[in-house]
Amino acid sequence: MIFLQPLLLAALPLLALPIIIHLINQRRYQTLPWGAMMFLLAANRMSRGYARLRQWLILLFRAVVIAALIFAISRPLASGWVGSAVGGVADTTIVLLDRSPSMQQRSGGSNLSKLETGTAQLARSLAALGTPRYVLIESATNAARELESIDSLPTLSQAGPTEAAADVPAMLLTALDYIRANKVGRTDLWICSDLRENDWNPNDARWQSLREAFAALGPRVRFHLLAYPAQPGDGRAAKHSPTNHSIRVTGVRRQSAQSGAELRVSLQVMRTAAAESQQPLPIEFEIEGARSVLSVEWEGPVFELEEHSIPLPANLTRGHGRVSIPADANPADNDFYFVFDAPPPRHTVIVSDDPAAAEPLELAARIAPAADVTSTAERIDRTRLATIAWERVALLLWHGPLPRAEQAELVESFVASGGQVIFFPPLVAGPETAFGVRWQDWHESPEPLSVRSWRGDGDLLRNTLSGQSLSVGQLEIRGYSSLEGEATELATLENSAPLLVRAATPRGGAYFWTTTPHEKHSTLARDGVVLYVTLQRAAAAGAEALSSVAERTAGPLATPTGPDATLPPAEAWAQLAGPADALSSEYPVRAGVYAHDDRLWAVNRASSEDRGGVLSDERLATLFGGLPLQRVDDRAGNLQSLVQEVWRVFLMGMMAAMVIEAALCLPSRSQSGGSAA
Amino acid sequence: MFKHGRPREFLDPTVIARLAGLPLFARRPMQGNVSGKHTSPNRGASVEFAEYRKYVPGDDLRRLDWRAYGRSDRFYVKEFEADTNLRCCLVLDTSGSMGFGSTGLTKLDYARRIVAALSYLAIQQGDAVGLSCVAGGIVTNLPPRRNPSHLMSLFDTLEQTRAAGETQLVSVLHELAETIRQAALVIVISDFFVDPQLLRASFEHLRFRKHDVSLFQLLDPLELEFTIQRPTRFLDMEGGSAIFAEPNQIAERYQKALHDYLDRLKQVTVETGVDYHRIRIDESYEQVLMRFLVGRSRGKGVR
Repeated sequence: MIFLQPLLLAALPLLALPIIIHLINQRRYQTLPWGAMMFLLAANRMSRGYARLRQWLILLFRAVVIAALIFAISRPLASGWVGSAVGGVADTTIVLLDRSPSMQQRSGGSNLSKLETGTAQLARSLAALGTPRYVLIESATNAARELESIDSLPTLSQAGPTEAAADVPAMLLTALDYIRANKVGRTDLWICSDLRENDWNPNDARWQSLREAFAALGPRVRFHLLAYPAQPGDGRAAKHSPTNHSIRVTGVRRQSAQSGAELRVSLQVMRTAAAESQQPLPIEFEIEGARSVLSVEWEGPVFELEEHSIPLPANLTRGHGRVSIPADANPADNDFYFVFDAPPPRHTVIVSDDPAAAEPLELAARIAPAADVTSTAERIDRTRLATIAWERVALLLWHGPLPRAEQAELVESFVASGGQVIFFPPLVAGPETAFGVRWQDWHESPEPLSVRSWRGDGDLLRNTLSGQSLSVGQLEIRGYSSLEGEATELATLENSAPLLVRAATPRGGAYFWTTTPHEKHSTLARDGVVLYVTLQRAAAAGAEALSSVAERTAGPLATPTGPDATLPPAEAWAQLAGPADALSSEYPVRAGVYAHDDRLWAVNRASSEDRGGVLSDERLATLFGGLPLQRVDDRAGNLQSLVQEVWRVFLMGMMAAMVIEAALCLPSRSQSGGSAA
Repeated sequence: MFKHGRPREFLDPTVIARLAGLPLFARRPMQGNVSGKHTSPNRGASVEFAEYRKYVPGDDLRRLDWRAYGRSDRFYVKEFEADTNLRCCLVLDTSGSMGFGSTGLTKLDYARRIVAALSYLAIQQGDAVGLSCVAGGIVTNLPPRRNPSHLMSLFDTLEQTRAAGETQLVSVLHELAETIRQAALVIVISDFFVDPQLLRASFEHLRFRKHDVSLFQLLDPLELEFTIQRPTRFLDMEGGSAIFAEPNQIAERYQKALHDYLDRLKQVTVETGVDYHRIRIDESYEQVLMRFLVGRSRGKGVR
């Protein structure tokens, strides 16, 4: 219990007043000589049990009356939330607001989302508590922002919905930094979230250090969690929540057709388990303003639509669009934006000292996999590296000693901008290192080695779309080079030597084949499928980076080295589609289609948002192990304030105590002259 | 009547005058030493015929009934009832509790008036009156005498009596039962704050000695109603330890204890054949005595 006027509690010693009055009353007794002592003695002997208890009860209720009065004027606040937070109000209140799309969920019978309910509850509760300083840390920017007043929280644009996933550990880190930097005293940390696992990252290593850091701050930091754990699929919320569908575009491809062009859209609709009656779901496609509706009906939680064809005007090569489903429990996952463009040309540059090996490479790089795709290749000498127009290159094939000095810088900047490079080994290893990997000695094997294992689940050697694996196992390797350095093995020879590795790069890709396509060394050229597929996949990935259209997961703009390096600052974005109420500074966290210069990109919610489970109570207790955490579970649309003044209860208690006291004081039978004590 | 001077405050001549018309009778034969107006267990010289008795040598020949001899040729003596005076022993409780009085009149004051009036009436009709003031023991004892001058010393004693000390009424009554000669009128004036079961024995003892016992129980209205409001420290007037009590809290139980006691006392007096009068001391003592005397005269004639 918390009191708004805790000073008045100093009056609690007044509780002793009835006792003091009782004692004073006893002091001012009269003395009376008395003859009939035998009856008095008899009466005293009879004075046991209820009669004596009644006196104590009367005294007790008189004290209760005073206590209730004092509590009432101390203006107590009642709530499970602030339940035991005795000791007055904190100096600073930090609000950690989860603005992730799942917070836009509504429950049945209410028009308020979890986020709106949460901010309203926070505003009401914190206004009642009255802290001198409010700090808001919301999930979109993870920045601490001081608020003028907490009343404005529900209307604040920085507390509105976003499509970006929250990063609760990062928010807590920001709060910790704020507490440390500002040396604040007693702090209340209010976390408003729906406890989604993808927002809380319970496996994150930062939790450990967070726990320790907050524990070191001692009891002056208290955690309050306003949780909205109910999901539409939950049993406890099922009767409140209508079915929720979420839609997601998994692929968009423009391709030429007989009648001009068409757009092939693959999408996925997920449904919460609450749905019993299967009703057709209309999916609306909107492409450059033109709408079409596809009605689908299916059983089960997931619906996948592959390569749905939508005709396009022949002259429309690039554009943007949106798929949407009707409004349901969570409006945040009803829309998905996409952009499309003609596929960029896959230009490959081959640097090789060995023409015999370069031939099959050039051949593989030059053959386009589809009619819409243009694949080109050029073979240049390594001395002319600086003359290449790097902004058009998708893939670099490098056969021979690793690049050094200026060459290495060129290659690294190419990879950093999203380009792909595949290295093939020289017969004689040099001292050079590229991406942390260095060629070692060349080994010749009299018997052809086969591939023991390869990664079919991803990257260059992944299975085909139809699920078939590549014929990597049929390769025969006679000569290979060993490697030194940290890299991920994608394929391994039977003698455990790596065949294809990928070096770790923040962007782009750097791969190392440990053999060459030369027929003396391997059957890569002869069984050309594996080589061809890897080259085209790498070229496609490289071309993707060159494309003027992009997909982006909603989230704050990262540092310049990350994948957002090529994006302009948010203020320069022009919104082509998306929520009309979005602030330009929040474009990176709002879904939509944005343009800058001739570039076009779609921003959508993270895929983890669609499936994220809810953090279990035990898990949450582990995360906050040892920290003072108070949790209140709320429900979207709850209009009752979590914190309210309860002085009325105390007043009523006081009145009740007075009535009881009066009843106890009444003489049990009508004795002449008997009156209340 | 007030030859020796001052009027007594406990003696109201007008009350005496009004009561003088009523005789004081005993309910059973009394043994006096002179003739009086009370029946005696002995035969005597009254006009009231009692019985014929055979002559035995030694009888006074004057009392032979010659007419009976003439009719039956046998000697008979004609006997008559004896009328005698009575000895009225007034037992006045002067223990501390008798000093209580909430109406401006203590129980002792009230008792003095009763004693004075009764003794005056008794002496006036030729009866002997004695007075025993008792508290822890017999404080003062005036043996019964019938001459009017005795009344003076009796009044003097009454005047000097003070309420003090504890009550040992039971043992005192036993003692008096032994010391008073047989068949006297014993009038006990007290508040009888003693266990009725203990009193029963002493009443039976008095009855065994053929005394006619009358009780005047004096009770103060405050004792009966217990209408005290403030917390009170009750000091025992007989020297016991004081009791602190909130009267409101114990009033109910006090009443219960009181009525329980009064019922038991009533029962004891009925069972022992004692003439019992419960008196609130805010009553007029004249009325009380009137009731007492009238009740007596109705019971006259029992032998």
